[in-house]
This record gives sequence, structure tokens and C-alpha cells, in this order.
Amino acid sequence: MVEVEKLREIAREVISRDDVRQLIGYRQGTYGFRARPAFITSPEEVDQLIFSPACVNNLATYLTLEEKLPVPRGQEPDLRKVAVMVKGCDSRALVQQMEEKAYERDRIVVLGIPCTGVVDMDKVEERFPNVLSRGEIALEGDKFILSFDGRREEVPKEELLADKCKRCRYPTPLVYDQLLDQEVARFADDDYSDIVELEKRSAEEKWAYWEEKFSRCIRCYSCRNVCPMCYCEDCVLDRLNPQWMRRSVDLSENTAYHIARAYHLAGRCIQCGECQRVCPVEIPLMELNRKFYKDVEELYDYEPGTDAEAPPLLATFKVDDREDFIL
Amino acid sequence: MAEKNSDFEPNIVAFLCNWCSYAGADLAGTSRIQYPPNVRVIRVMCSGRVNPLFVMNALQQGADGVLISGCHPGDCHYMQGNYYARRRFMLMRNFLEYLGVEPERVRMSWVSASEGAKWKEVIEEVVNGVKSVGPMNKFQRRQLNW
Repeated sequence: MVEVEKLREIAREVISRDDVRQLIGYRQGTYGFRARPAFITSPEEVDQLIFSPACVNNLATYLTLEEKLPVPRGQEPDLRKVAVMVKGCDSRALVQQMEEKAYERDRIVVLGIPCTGVVDMDKVEERFPNVLSRGEIALEGDKFILSFDGRREEVPKEELLADKCKRCRYPTPLVYDQLLDQEVARFADDDYSDIVELEKRSAEEKWAYWEEKFSRCIRCYSCRNVCPMCYCEDCVLDRLNPQWMRRSVDLSENTAYHIARAYHLAGRCIQCGECQRVCPVEIPLMELNRKFYKDVEELYDYEPGTDAEAPPLLATFKVDDREDFIL
Repeated sequence: MAEKNSDFEPNIVAFLCNWCSYAGADLAGTSRIQYPPNVRVIRVMCSGRVNPLFVMNALQQGADGVLISGCHPGDCHYMQGNYYARRRFMLMRNFLEYLGVEPERVRMSWVSASEGAKWKEVIEEVVNGVKSVGPMNKFQRRQLNW
């Protein structure tokens, strides 16, 4: 686990540099166990920074989310770098963004955090409901230590660990300028057992499953907004001409939305699980994304977010790609 | 389901590339080859032009099946458009199957300009496939019947 003192020391060093404009990290949330993003612009603010298993957010989102306003005449655009703290999964978002030429590598400073797993806040809240005072979560060995209201609770790691961490292949960041701790060896893998199980069902059963999920969607677009890969300035959902899917919240348009969202992440989704985490109606969005992840890996031997030099999956082809489905 | 819908005539939207499949379908016509009349052809310049969302949109708007047809690999007028299309629709088809849309509804074929006879076979195969799974009743838009 990263020591907070070391983290702050390195962060102070980085934000004091002349060529760094901003540092994006984590700070304690306002209530409960939650952590929230911190946007640090001066060395004095560095003492807010923390890292704990409560730091679930993927901060890579903010790099592309920032609005690029036109610069008034006579002023120079601020071209200084942005520093960002990333876990293993988040670092893959950076790699994938750079693979798509969203920005150049030298525009960012990456502080890599070797991650031993983060909690699933829903599981924490289910276990300890209505904790309003600030609490802390730490990982010791294979137990999460939760301290709040003068209490100290130990929970086995398995019970609170986020599902994405149980399938994490890259706990150590793949790209970094400074690593804040010792590298962590891979401790989990994804066998797609739930996807395979779903694939084996009949068409009617599959549709019954998804119909129930999609009809719940309220089209808040949280999953799109939080996604580090959804950074198109002109999103297909916002288009009016052609209007790919209508604004109405009904099964047809919801299904269309989820097909479009998942398809646009085919060969791009890096399995950070943010979409599913933010979904207010608990649609298992990762089951859609992981279907593509599995197909892409099996068919094209490609893993998104692992090689910034590789061409994007759907912008390339091999002459001997599988075509047994073609008449 | 096939018995239940024995008089079901599917609507099939076909996206044909200008250079091969459209000419192939044209040849089938000028050669007076009979094939099922369930296909509505949309001509595009290349199978690589077909956005996978077209498939989704066609199914939404009441198509029972979608066919994308292009030149054989290596014959693309634009050198590589059909290779890109192949990757896209492999993924789209698998994904729709995963959601519960029968794979018979989303088909792709290579038909060259000289393959009028193959076009007939492709259409028969697609129409029979869609007939066997019945009308699309999953996520099409609600139709208003005045």
C-alpha cells in the first residue's frame, strides 16, 4: 500500500515544477468512506491527498473531460502538463487514449500507484449502512480495516473487493513517470465464466435477461460521462442530424443506446468498471463491455489499453481475419 | 416457430456495395433469376461505409433481418473497405447474438458483380433463416397505427 507521506512528498515535488499546471489525485470525501477527486494547483493543497482502497474513481476521465475553450486574442494557451494519479486499471485508460492520439505522452505526468484492489462502495454501504461521519479504509494483508466512529472493523478482502479487481490483470500501472510503491504482481485473472454462461442461454432467455435490464435504464448518461474512453466532442447520442436514437426513455431507444454505447467501446474498453459503478439503476454494463473484450481477445488477439504504439483495433485488419459467418 | 409463422414474409434490409454486390444483384435481375422478393436494397459505395449502427437502426425500424454484402476480400474497389467491414460485423453480430437477437437476422455475404446466381442463393438462405426465427419482436420502435 502506498504511504501517504511519500505520496504527498512526490506530489509536492511534481506540482512545484514549472511545467505542471495541475495535479489530479484523491482526497477524503465529505461523508462515509468515500474518496473524491482532488484537483491540486498549488503545493499548499497537497496535504489533502490520500490513497486508500476507497479511491475507486478513474481519474483518467478528467484528462479528456476538460473543456478546451478558445483562448482570447493576445493570450497564449496554457500548455503546461497535467499530472494524474493512476491505478493499474486507470493507467490502461491513459494507454488507450494515447493509442487513439487523444493527446501526446509528454502532455501528462503519470504518478503510478501499484494497486492491491479497491472496495466496492455498494458492498461497504450494505455492510455498514448510514455511516455519515468520515471513515477510513485500509488494506492489511487480506483484510480491509474500516475505522469510523471510534470503531474498528475487520472484513476479509474478498467480501468488499470490487468485482473488477477480482478480474484485474494489470495491478501495476502500465505507464508511469514515477511509481509510488513496489510493483504488485498479478493476483487475479478473468476467465469470463459469467459471460460464457450467459452466451449459452437461448435467444429468448438472453433477451428476457437484457430486456429487464434495459427497461430499467433512465438514460441519465452517467455511464457515458464517466467513461474515460467516451471523449468524442460530437457524441453520436447528442447528434440531431442524423438522430441515431431518440430521447424518449423506452425499451427500443434504451436498447439502441446500450448497443451504441457498448459498440463504441469495442476494442477500446479497458475494464475499469466505472460505468457499472456509477449506474443508478444497477445495469450490469460490464457484462456488455466484457463480451466485446472477450471477443476481441479471442478473435483478434488484441487487448485494449496495453500498447500505446499498436493501431486501434477497428482501424486495422488482417487479411486472414475469421469470416466463417459470411455467406 | 416456423410452423406458426408459415405465412410470415420477412422484411429484409440489404446494404449492397456499389461495385460488386449491387452489380451482382443487377445481373441476377437482367438474367431473370427468380429470388424471394423480401429484400429492400440500399446501395452504398462500399461495405466499409456501413455503420454497425445501421443494423441496429434497421432492426429498430421494423426490419426482420439485415444483410450486408460487399466484394470478395481482395476485390474491394477501395482496396480494404470490406476487410474493415468484416471486423466490425463480426463483433456486431456476436454482440447482438449475446443480447438475444438471433444470428440469422444479421448476415453478411461476399457477392461479386458476376455472381448473379450466388446472389439468389444468398437471398434464399437469408430469407429462410429469418423465416425460421419469425418476426423481430425485441426492440423495434412502437408503431402508431392510426
